[in-house]
Amino acid sequence: MSFEAPSEGHLHWNEQEYAEGKASVLKTIIILSVVTVVEVGIALAYDLLVPDNKGKMFIGLFMAVASVVKVWYIMGVFMHLGHETKAFKMTVLMPFLLLIWAIIAFTVEGATWNHYRHLLNVF
Amino acid sequence: MSTAAITHEQGHATTDEKVLWQGGKSPFKAGYGKVMMWYFLISDTFTFASLLVTYGALRFAMTDNWPKSAEVFSSIPLPMFEGVHAPLVFVSFMTFLLIVSSYTMVRAVQEGYLMNRKGVIKFLVPTLICGLMFLGCQYLEWTHMMHDGVTATTASEITKVVNFGQLFFIITGFHGLHVFAGTILLTWLIVATANGRFDKVGHYEMVEKIGLYWHFVDLVWVYVFLCFYLL
Repeated sequence: MSFEAPSEGHLHWNEQEYAEGKASVLKTIIILSVVTVVEVGIALAYDLLVPDNKGKMFIGLFMAVASVVKVWYIMGVFMHLGHETKAFKMTVLMPFLLLIWAIIAFTVEGATWNHYRHLLNVF
Repeated sequence: MSTAAITHEQGHATTDEKVLWQGGKSPFKAGYGKVMMWYFLISDTFTFASLLVTYGALRFAMTDNWPKSAEVFSSIPLPMFEGVHAPLVFVSFMTFLLIVSSYTMVRAVQEGYLMNRKGVIKFLVPTLICGLMFLGCQYLEWTHMMHDGVTATTASEITKVVNFGQLFFIITGFHGLHVFAGTILLTWLIVATANGRFDKVGHYEMVEKIGLYWHFVDLVWVYVFLCFYLL
C-alpha cells in the first residue's frame, strides 16, 4: 500500500540547517514555556487577589495577546509555516481573519444576551 | 512535446506555462499531502472555534452566575493529593505535556530531514508517551468532575450552571478525541518508520504531515486551556 507520491519541498537538510533548526526550536519552546507560566501565574494571582472580577477585561486582553504569541510561535516555527512561500502563508492565514470576526461577533452577542436577560428574565 | 525554449506568442501561453498547466508542480513548492493537511487543519480550526465561540457567547450571557475556573479546577485528581488545594496545577501540567510533545515532534521531523531513522524514532516515542499521558490526565479530570457532581445534565455547587459542565465535556471530549486519533497516527508512524518505509520512499514527509496534525492538537489545547481555565 503506498500513498507516497514523489514530493516537493525542502525535505532534505544539511548539517548546518539542522543545527540552526535545533537552536530555533529550542528557543521557541523556552518562549512558549515562559509565556504559559506567566499566563497561569497572572490568572491565579488575579483570582486570588482581585475581589469581584474588576478589570477582568484587561486580563482577557492580556490572555488573548499571549495566545496570539503562542500561536505565532507554534505555527511559525513548529509547524514551519514561517518558511513556506508567501502565497501559501496567505491561504492559511486569511481564513483566520474570518475567525477573528466570528469571535468578536459572538462575544458581543453574548453580552447582548446578558443585557436582554436582565430585561426579559428569560434564562 | 515540451521544449526548453520559451516562446511567447501574442495572447497565447508560453511553452513553459503550458507545461505548468499539465500539473505535477506545486505552486506553493510544497508537497500535495502537506498542503492538504494544512487545509484540513484550517477546517478543523473552524469546527473547534465554533464550539469555543459558543462557550464565549454563553459565558458572557451568564457572567453573574458563571463559576470561577480557579475554584472549579482547584485540586489534583490523584489519590495521593486528596484534599490539597492546588488551583490550576493539574491542568498546567497537562499543558506542559502537550508543549513538550510538540517539541519532541518537531525534533523528530528535523531528524527526518537528515534521513536519520533512529533519530526519528528516538523523538517520536516521547511524543506518543506524552500524548497518552495527556489522555490519562484528561480521564482523571473527567472522572473527578463527575465525582464532584458535574455532568452533562447536572451542576455542582461550585459550577452553578449546567452549561459549564456541558461545554466542558463536549469541548474537552472533542479535543481528547483528536488527541486519541493523533496517538493512533503516531503509533502507526513509529511502526512504519521502524520498518524502514520512509527510507524506501526517500523522504520523511509523512512525519512532517503527522507532525502538523499534532501541533494543531497542541494549538487547540492552548485555546481550550485559555477559554476554560484562564478567562
